[in-house]
Amino acid sequence: MSKLSEALALNNFAVVAELTPPKGISVAAMLAPVASLKGKVQAFSVPDNEHARMRLSALACCRLVQEAGGEALLHLACRDKNRLALESELLGAAALGIENLLLVSGDYVTLGDHPDAKPVYDADSVQLLQIAGGLMAGRDSTGQALDGSPSFFLGAVVIPEAEPWGPQLVKFEKKLAAGAQFFITPPVFDLEKLKSFRQQTTASAAKLLAAVKVLSPEEAAQAKTGEWRKVYAIPPDLLARFEGKDGNDFFQAGAELAGNLVGRIKDEKLADGIYLKAEGRPDLLGKILEVAGMC
Amino acid sequence: MIIAERKPFKEIAAAVAPYDKILIVGCGTCVAVCLAGGEKEVGLLASQLKLAAGLKHRRIEVGEITVERQCDLEFLEPLCDFVADFDAIISMACGAGVQFLAHMCHFKPIFPAVDTTFIGVNNAVGYYTERCRACRRCYLGLTGGICPVTMCPKGLLNGPCGGTLNGKCEVDLQKDCAWSKIYQRLELEGRLDNLKEIVPLHPHSRGTTPGTVIHPAYRRRYGVDE
Ligand code: SF4
Ligand code: SF4
Repeated sequence: MSKLSEALALNNFAVVAELTPPKGISVAAMLAPVASLKGKVQAFSVPDNEHARMRLSALACCRLVQEAGGEALLHLACRDKNRLALESELLGAAALGIENLLLVSGDYVTLGDHPDAKPVYDADSVQLLQIAGGLMAGRDSTGQALDGSPSFFLGAVVIPEAEPWGPQLVKFEKKLAAGAQFFITPPVFDLEKLKSFRQQTTASAAKLLAAVKVLSPEEAAQAKTGEWRKVYAIPPDLLARFEGKDGNDFFQAGAELAGNLVGRIKDEKLADGIYLKAEGRPDLLGKILEVAGMC
Repeated sequence: MIIAERKPFKEIAAAVAPYDKILIVGCGTCVAVCLAGGEKEVGLLASQLKLAAGLKHRRIEVGEITVERQCDLEFLEPLCDFVADFDAIISMACGAGVQFLAHMCHFKPIFPAVDTTFIGVNNAVGYYTERCRACRRCYLGLTGGICPVTMCPKGLLNGPCGGTLNGKCEVDLQKDCAWSKIYQRLELEGRLDNLKEIVPLHPHSRGTTPGTVIHPAYRRRYGVDE
């Protein structure tokens, strides 16, 4: 059983910190949060070519996280691999002792830095959850028996602020039916939206990790000018906190806000844990936990 | 129908530059409707080629002919003799037509004049949109007549991705999210239950190229087991 699944099973408020795999092979900066935070977080999460931008292999990064003494959470995107590759990657993860998975469709290739690459999507995220579940039961996606079956803690994404909600609910329910054991949201700034999602889905046995993000100056600028193209909204009063700030001040204000949000999510039981996105910076991740009173 | 787009003139002209007697073969079906390779477009390309050659003080002979359908043997056979007088052929049909013509006319260099683009519809003059990727296992009955394979850039079969924004697609916010549309349509028809079951992995082996279809009534004729 992974530390993450254990913490969630015991209803301990879980903390996952996201790392930023390098575009290259210099891994020291990526691994810095593992050294400083491994006692305070349950798992370090590694995106798989996030936003369709090519980075160091998430599986390799997860292995390095483990070697540095942390527990890993591997993302696996349907965008880049067909079912053979997905299945063998999942077995590879299991063989390396990685249990926590986040199975996603993956942002479309033209939005990333290799726009001419062939998009795969042989499976979608629901089918990938089924595939992983099948492997756990000792069968590959064609029904052939495995020699030794893996055990995973299966995660998926849910979008509490999705508009329209109906289609998102269809997907959420299918992910549950396909065996998702926990869900991660996109960054949450508007806690009212998280609250109403939580009320609607209390019956589900799956655990919820709410993502909390340290906003970047670029993102704040987009949100202000209405160029915002994200599946989550930022209430104007929160944006106002960044007024007149730049450089490091800006990031410190972002970490402070994130810390406040984490504190409220924990106190009001709006989620079973949090998923921190702070550009993989150990100082910011540490500050969020400090502001939230969690270390 | 098949939608195609005329290649840039420079590309076509460069391909046939070594030849003096060129036959341009148009197609009277899909590519005529989408204004890429029908009789009119054959005429236009012929004039362009002659003009460009004239400017270089070259004399070339350009033949023009348009058949009903280049993807149909019945219409191609009569062309074979005609082709004999030319050094090279430019086909303005879709890729299927070009290949069929190539197969019929041995030893003649053949060049495409269009880029075959997709299977789509004619919304209005000059305005075509994609609708089908010929996936060989049609889901339209399940999805309210809206194709998840084509209308969703990711071809997702089990509902929307996380990027849908106000019913628009993460890939292009000018376009509707296929899954928002599918949901709306099924809701209106009272058929949302269609979306309950998880759709299994698509059987891609069916799509191994090149595909062949033998109509069941003709299996004996073509020596295929019944
Ligand atoms: S599901 Fe879509 S791609 Fe497949 S045959 Fe039907 S319309 Fe074409
Ligand atoms: S937004 Fe909708 S149409 Fe676009 S990729 Fe996602 S699911 Fe497909």
